[in-house]
Amino acid sequence: MNIQIIKKNDISLRLLIEDTNAAFMNTLRRIVTSEVPSMAIDDVVIIENSSTLQDDFLAHRVGLVPLKTDLDTYNLPEDCTCKSEFGCNLCRVSLALEAETEDHTITVYSSHFKSENPVVVPVSDRIPIAKLAPSQKIRLEAYARLGKGKDHARWQPVSMCAYKYLPIVIVNTKLCDLCGDCIKICPKNILTKAGDKIEIRNVLDCTLCQDCIDACKKNPKALEVSWNENSFIFEIESTGVLTPERILKGALSILEGKLKEFLDQLVVK
Amino acid sequence: MKIVILNKTKNELKVRIDGEGHTFCNVVQKALLKDKRVELAGYDIPHPLTSSPIIYLRTKERSNPVKTLRDATRDVLKDTDAFKAALKKALKEWKSTA
Repeated sequence: MNIQIIKKNDISLRLLIEDTNAAFMNTLRRIVTSEVPSMAIDDVVIIENSSTLQDDFLAHRVGLVPLKTDLDTYNLPEDCTCKSEFGCNLCRVSLALEAETEDHTITVYSSHFKSENPVVVPVSDRIPIAKLAPSQKIRLEAYARLGKGKDHARWQPVSMCAYKYLPIVIVNTKLCDLCGDCIKICPKNILTKAGDKIEIRNVLDCTLCQDCIDACKKNPKALEVSWNENSFIFEIESTGVLTPERILKGALSILEGKLKEFLDQLVVK
Repeated sequence: MKIVILNKTKNELKVRIDGEGHTFCNVVQKALLKDKRVELAGYDIPHPLTSSPIIYLRTKERSNPVKTLRDATRDVLKDTDAFKAALKKALKEWKSTA
């Protein structure tokens, strides 16, 4: 297996993975979206709410705020040694939200949250939670815990995780009459005219839509779109709770754990 | 994860894996199908709301099905290790160029 990083920044990672198979890629994708834990608010105690939003609506909005996660310090509540329904310092973080206004309308943002742990804070300060009219007030206490995407989407560490086959686009220069129809129709602008032939640039962007083949008037077609079944472009876009490489490493260790547990239990007799 | 062996003969094996789903079974099935000793391998999730898939495996020439399943699982484990190593290398290369 060979991996090449195509793009990498704080929240997204794009990899070219060679010499693997679709089943492995799909398992990795499924683990990333539904089994890598992240932090989100689970319990909300509303002390005072005189805003126009009902308590349950407000709790739902609060729950969907992504929180920066520290996977090394915190435990999943079901794995935590405390075995308590309310959680302990190792499986729960409390955040308080207090906002009120006297004479003008304000917007309550995620920056109003005061967390007991300065590491576990909303990923952005500019997530609107509610609007308050004069003399309205919100006071609540929220408890965040680690959870998995399969229980609720708020615990999904990624906004997107997908893979596709590595595209292969070939232009047959003998058949091509340079009409340019394929260049015009390509939604990703992969084809260009260079001198007396059609050239392919950034082939990795190809979505395999095959519009260029439909547009080609030649018979047989002057281009061919195919894909390599053992190479993939794998992309992760994090919500900001964890770095994409941390998510991927987490997914790999979860898969490893599953396989080892299976091997431990399945014994040849 | 809890494994329950439902049926076992000299060349057949039927196991239920409580607490897993497509995520685990699909890679294992595909790894089994690559093995030349395997005649038939598949899995089924009897009800979509329960997470207890059943893996069914039949081997050729009476090779031990449990051993075959273990080998397939180990193959996936090897893939995981290879992925880990390749990712580490790629991240290192990226760091040195950036």
